[in-house]
Amino acid sequence: MENQNDVKSDIKKYILEASLSDVKDVEDDALIFENGLLDSMGLLFLIEFLGETFNVEVNDDELNPKNFESINSIVSFVNNKLAVKV
Amino acid sequence: MKSEPRKPFSKDIIHIENIDQVCNDIIAKLKTDVAKKLQRRGGVIGISGGIDSSVCLALSAKAFGPKNVLAIMLPEQDSSDDSRELAEKLAKKFGVSTLIENITEALNGFGCYERRDEAILRVIPSFDKDKDKAKIEIKQNIAENIPAIFSITVIKPDGESISKLLPAKEYLQIVASTNFKQRSRMSMLYYHGERLHYAVIGTPNKHEVEQGFFVKHGDGGADVMPIGHLYKTQVYQLARHLGVPQEIIDRTPTTDTYTAEQSQEDFFYQMPFESMDLIWYGWENGYPAQEVGKVMDKTTKEIENIYKSFERKRKTTEYLRMRPIF
Repeated sequence: MENQNDVKSDIKKYILEASLSDVKDVEDDALIFENGLLDSMGLLFLIEFLGETFNVEVNDDELNPKNFESINSIVSFVNNKLAVKV
Repeated sequence: MKSEPRKPFSKDIIHIENIDQVCNDIIAKLKTDVAKKLQRRGGVIGISGGIDSSVCLALSAKAFGPKNVLAIMLPEQDSSDDSRELAEKLAKKFGVSTLIENITEALNGFGCYERRDEAILRVIPSFDKDKDKAKIEIKQNIAENIPAIFSITVIKPDGESISKLLPAKEYLQIVASTNFKQRSRMSMLYYHGERLHYAVIGTPNKHEVEQGFFVKHGDGGADVMPIGHLYKTQVYQLARHLGVPQEIIDRTPTTDTYTAEQSQEDFFYQMPFESMDLIWYGWENGYPAQEVGKVMDKTTKEIENIYKSFERKRKTTEYLRMRPIF
């Protein structure tokens, strides 16, 4: 299982690569949709990435700002899902 | 010069006061646009029994004269049966000739149904294409600040419903395959338009145009869009004024695209038209969220999030409204 730092760095790297804006870095608590880093297709591709990289499936009721609004919230969502699996 | 003070936000703010004048202006413009700018001698229009195409047909009949309008019904195997009945009643009311062009075989040729069902099966393996009904919808609350993501819902013959979030690949395949429907309709409308030297009358309203709820080169492919600047509640006002049959006015707007019944609200807009029109007006005209929230019985935060959702929808669908870049 990946450790928490790996999860964060993988997610951050993905978001920077997938971002619509020409950004070099993003704060861990920056609001990624509000700042225009990702749009709705970006969110969909992010969910695909989480499935392929961490084997984490996202359900309808988990799609909320608490789980997805920033890198920190995505990391904690993924870690919680991975903890349940263990 | 002293500018007029801005009207306070209210539920009547988009109500058309001088409806007769507004209808006459649209009719006069439509006539000039088609005859002078497009240099065509009439209009061809796809009718579905829905409110938007009905109003466009009524306006066209008044602009060009009923004998210079051809109304075409373009059903396919997933279309609802009452659409045809209503469309026929409408055309009769305005004295317009009709034609039925069933596009099911064209869609089979494109592999529309096969490609769509293949993607649904990958998400819900128990999907039976011959017995079950399916639709895609947004289940999130628009007032939550997160982009909208589609889910697929399969409804079994006994009413059991299975719903799953659509993965990117399957979502894109389902949308791309069902878009064959609107694009096939557009091809058929242009066939008749060219055959008769008529313009193709597009039926999208303001929300469809600005929020991108149309298919590029599909229902977005037309020569003129007479109600493209009108809010949905204003389209209803026009419908009542022009005498569109009451059954059409009373009908819930559907997409008529998927096999399961699906309102446009569930599919795309995430809120009733009456609220959406007003909040969109507030957003577009710079009314503070607090002022709009008081009238709409919503918190300032909710309105702010809805404003953000509008902004996202307009931005992410910009591609649909763009002309080819060269």
